[in-house]
Amino acid sequence: MLALFAPPNIIDSLLLRFFEPGTVNYVVWPFIQIGAVVTAVAVWAMYATYAERKISAFMQARLGPMRVGPYGLLQPIADAIKLLTKEDLTPDKADPFIFKFAPYISVAAAFIVFAVIPFAPDWGVITDINIGLLFVLSVSSVGVLALILAGWSSNSKYALMGGLRSSAQMVSYEVAMGLSLVGALMFARTLSLSGIVSAQQSDSIWFILYQPMGFMVFLISGIAENNRAPFDLPEAESEIVAGFHTEYSGMRWSLFFMAEYAAMVVVAAMATSLYLGGWYLPGVYRLTEANGYHHLYVILSITVFVLKMGVLLYTYFWLRWTLPRYRYDQLMDLGWKWLIPATLVNIVLTALAIFLVQALDGWRGYKTIDSLSQGLNLTGIGKIIMIVAGWGGLFVTAGVLSMINWRSRDFNLKTQRRNIRLVDVPQGKPAVAAAAAPTTTQV
Amino acid sequence: MPVVDVPQPTFMQKLKRFFMIDLLKGMGLTLKYNLGALTDKNSVEGFGIYTEQYPKVRADVAPRFHGAPRLNMDPETHDTLCIACNLCALACPEDCIDVLPMDIEIMVAGKPRKKKVLDEFIFDTSRCMFCALCQEACPTSCLELTQDFELATYSRAGFVWNREMLEQGRETVKYEE
Repeated sequence: MLALFAPPNIIDSLLLRFFEPGTVNYVVWPFIQIGAVVTAVAVWAMYATYAERKISAFMQARLGPMRVGPYGLLQPIADAIKLLTKEDLTPDKADPFIFKFAPYISVAAAFIVFAVIPFAPDWGVITDINIGLLFVLSVSSVGVLALILAGWSSNSKYALMGGLRSSAQMVSYEVAMGLSLVGALMFARTLSLSGIVSAQQSDSIWFILYQPMGFMVFLISGIAENNRAPFDLPEAESEIVAGFHTEYSGMRWSLFFMAEYAAMVVVAAMATSLYLGGWYLPGVYRLTEANGYHHLYVILSITVFVLKMGVLLYTYFWLRWTLPRYRYDQLMDLGWKWLIPATLVNIVLTALAIFLVQALDGWRGYKTIDSLSQGLNLTGIGKIIMIVAGWGGLFVTAGVLSMINWRSRDFNLKTQRRNIRLVDVPQGKPAVAAAAAPTTTQV
Repeated sequence: MPVVDVPQPTFMQKLKRFFMIDLLKGMGLTLKYNLGALTDKNSVEGFGIYTEQYPKVRADVAPRFHGAPRLNMDPETHDTLCIACNLCALACPEDCIDVLPMDIEIMVAGKPRKKKVLDEFIFDTSRCMFCALCQEACPTSCLELTQDFELATYSRAGFVWNREMLEQGRETVKYEE
């Protein structure tokens, strides 16, 4: 316990007695970080089930788990023991290798992403690669492969339908997710996640102020990416039993759950570091790092990051227990007709705003751009212009979207079906099938 | 040929839809309940927790509720109050009560006399409809339907209560902390 809060240079000197300096820096420390992160995420995945049950209970004026331990706090452990001791069934006609392998892909894809998540500066990040964002996007979409494989190899109609649904959902929401990040990247001017956070820190602003539209679209498509309600079509329990994991039992089933909760953390961490300033909170740097308390600064930064993530994760639960599930055509409609055009409009508007700020820089002595060293650092006037452009852009986007979609009749399929059925039928007469007429004359 | 005339949304409706006002309203309601569960104690008018923790906290039944039967005893002598008059069995519309009396010899003023006393009392709770007509008929307030509602058993025979069960009460597993 003491070692957890001790400054790492004490641990460093301890490690240097046993290993070479190079080994300590590039092998031992990363392993310690990986172990810490994996443990934290696994514990989160366990207690997320508890949080979900508790929050859903509170929202429905119930109590939730109360029996195992105080306030039911040991319930996840009881669940884990139950799942571990359950029989691991493989259906008779399933593809046994793929069926057994799919959960591992799912968990691996969800956990690998944590390598680049910047929990804090310095030792708070496992590795800071300069294409961190691309890495996260590409690896997290490998998780979809697991769902498709699981759905296909189960050899069950419900599982297959779940897998197909998830693949279609991913195709349509991956695009919106990727495009919604472009606006924030224009300000950060880097793909490294730590770089994006430090761009916000050096500018002392959160990008959500510049990019409310981008944040909204990213959050919505992130929820869809994680198969969470209201976009939980791949595992819609009221329609297709349990979707892609219908045939799974025991620990393999819970691996899918772990992957889902880990992927939730990934999306929350991405949204935090891109739009909510990551580990940056005004005042933390001034109080600690400026006074020389470096490790305290890192620990506080991790706390800030986790708190911000917690707000977003609560939003996940909150949305799930508030909103009903989308119908399948509504899901496609939202993705292709609303979110993707919204992101495109957002990119254009952001580019125009940045162009405006650049044009204003130096005009009649105004100074808008501070420097370009760490992202796009703006002065006070530039920030105000950007914030006005960002929030005013919401109204522009609303106008453009309603113009694009003015013919789409509010998901009213019923009218469309009636129009198709009643072609060439005299008004007031019942519709007769056209094929029935010639057969009667032949006989 | 539109069959259903869907009116075009007005500008304000479009804005409302774009900024998801109705969605936010719904989320506000669930948040109210979530915070209410943690802070509010009033579950009827407020947003508090409505469920009761049954085995720990027993439900309050209505004052007129009729539940498990009981044969009352004299609190001082611990003799049964039942005089084996059979009125309850006659009053029972379901015919689920059997009163089995026996005669004992007692001495009254020096002479041996026979007296009818209660030997066994059979109460079939599986057929009882808890109308409490037996309770009304009892002249000595011996038979009483209490407020206890846990009558489930593991077998059909367990529903038939004998005199000992009726006097002492049936053993039920109580939830302990």
